[in-house]
Amino acid sequence: MDAGLDMRTTGTKSDDSILSILRLIVQGIVSIAKSHWVTLVNFWRPTVCERYPHKDKSLDYKPGPGYKGDFALITDKEKGRLRCIACQSCERACPNHCIRVVPAGKGKDRYPAEFYIDVGLCMNCEICVEVCPVDALTMTPDYECSVHDPRDLIRNIKQLTERGMEFDEVSRVR
Amino acid sequence: METRSDLRTEELLINMGPQHPSTHGVLRLVLTIDGERVVQAVPHIGYLHSSMEKIAEAKTYRQYMPFADRYDYLNAMGNELAYVRAVEKLCGIEVTPRCEYIRVIMAEMNRIASHLVYFGTLGLDTGSWSPFLYCFREREAIIQLFEDTSGQRLLYHYFRIGGLRNDLPSHFCDKLAEFLDYFPARINEYNDLLTNNIIFQRRMQGIGYLSPELCRRYSVTGPNIRGAGIPYDIRRVVGYSVYPELEFDIPTRPEGDAYARHLVRVEEMRQSVRILKQCLEKLPEGEINVKVPRRLKPVVGEVYERVESPRGELACYLISDGSEKPWRLHWRAPSFYNLQVLPELLKGAYVADTVAILGSIDIVLPDVDR
Ligand code: SF4
Ligand code: SF4
Repeated sequence: MDAGLDMRTTGTKSDDSILSILRLIVQGIVSIAKSHWVTLVNFWRPTVCERYPHKDKSLDYKPGPGYKGDFALITDKEKGRLRCIACQSCERACPNHCIRVVPAGKGKDRYPAEFYIDVGLCMNCEICVEVCPVDALTMTPDYECSVHDPRDLIRNIKQLTERGMEFDEVSRVR
Repeated sequence: METRSDLRTEELLINMGPQHPSTHGVLRLVLTIDGERVVQAVPHIGYLHSSMEKIAEAKTYRQYMPFADRYDYLNAMGNELAYVRAVEKLCGIEVTPRCEYIRVIMAEMNRIASHLVYFGTLGLDTGSWSPFLYCFREREAIIQLFEDTSGQRLLYHYFRIGGLRNDLPSHFCDKLAEFLDYFPARINEYNDLLTNNIIFQRRMQGIGYLSPELCRRYSVTGPNIRGAGIPYDIRRVVGYSVYPELEFDIPTRPEGDAYARHLVRVEEMRQSVRILKQCLEKLPEGEINVKVPRRLKPVVGEVYERVESPRGELACYLISDGSEKPWRLHWRAPSFYNLQVLPELLKGAYVADTVAILGSIDIVLPDVDR
């Protein structure tokens, strides 16, 4: 076992001669002084806690690409329409049934008339993104989703398209 | 003064929990106490039951993957490892060497993170606040790496059947190596702070004695059985994944008390650091994913796959009827078995030691209830 773990105090429990009591007192003082020394060392280390959301630094934090945050639908900028072909694969694959796609149009022009994702029900597993055959859905590094009314957590097609404007591809770890 | 012959003392029944801050979740302990001593302790479980096993029967093998994270939330990567290994064994899928190494790296990092939470909360239970803060600071380094890799901080859903979600991010190996360099020195610091502290030692030594015989009777596993002197570790006993290629010791202590279990966990963090260093050295290049059919339909059959979680032997028992969904899934959750021995440990202990003994067997309540 490691030398750092000393077992000096074992066995002194029932022994109560003056000498051993004195030894115990000295050992106690030493071990407690050591503990305080550790606290003192850590006192000078940089602070890692942040008073979220009252400090600007933590608000600036952006997770890396590939973070499983809020959803976005990617727009095909050349064609000027959403990539999504309303195939409803994501709806079927979602383990929590929190996606609802309302398709419109026929054949090649099939598009989603409505696209709801209940972020409150979602468990951020990314299965929906993976099953999409045309890479139309992505998760973004936006993590601030708290609202007062749970109904505000249901994303509709307008919000999803807006957020997807910054994305050309599905957000992935690099 | 006249003495009355009908004066007597009585045993007292007290409820500890379910909303007690030191029961690590929602555990209700009904204690019968005689003065300061516990006569009998009965754990009432089930407050966090979430039907994890029943849910599996309604989901496909892929869809169940994220649920596997969610019952032992401190060891999400380890749970995923047990589940994917079971499914892959059932379907006869062989994953690439790089994938195996990355999986082991993730599982060991999670072991360190889980033991850090244990260390911190045990400090809280015994009245020491600082170790908790320092442990969470170190844990943050690991969690940050998990976040960069899997996109989540607690429930990762990083493993996939036949591979992983993505390869490691470019800065991962450097960041991890940096962490492994400073972390052993930090463990020494924690030992100075808590483990070698005389108050803590005298509080923990000699309480909650767990004999090897008791371990066998109750199927206790993990650091608890190793704290009783039996070197039983699934990483050695079964030697799954790439563990046979790695060098590491299995720390044991002969004493069997709460302090011995504590020492075993501290030493396990060092061993995990050793494993991680070797993994970083040996990490092969190459593909991480193998081709798996879109509709996964295993043959009819059953598998039982064991891994070592930070709490003990974690196993996934899977029965397939040839359809896309498991016919039955069962988790052999280590916390559940370890909790059963608690009444024996608490018999005759001081009420004040109850929390320390409970902390020293390190249970996670969703893992108990599933
Ligand atoms: S991330 Fe998972 S739970 Fe959330 S919408 Fe997608 S598939 Fe459903
Ligand atoms: S987002 Fe993808 S999977 Fe979902 S309906 Fe649109 S095209 Fe299909």
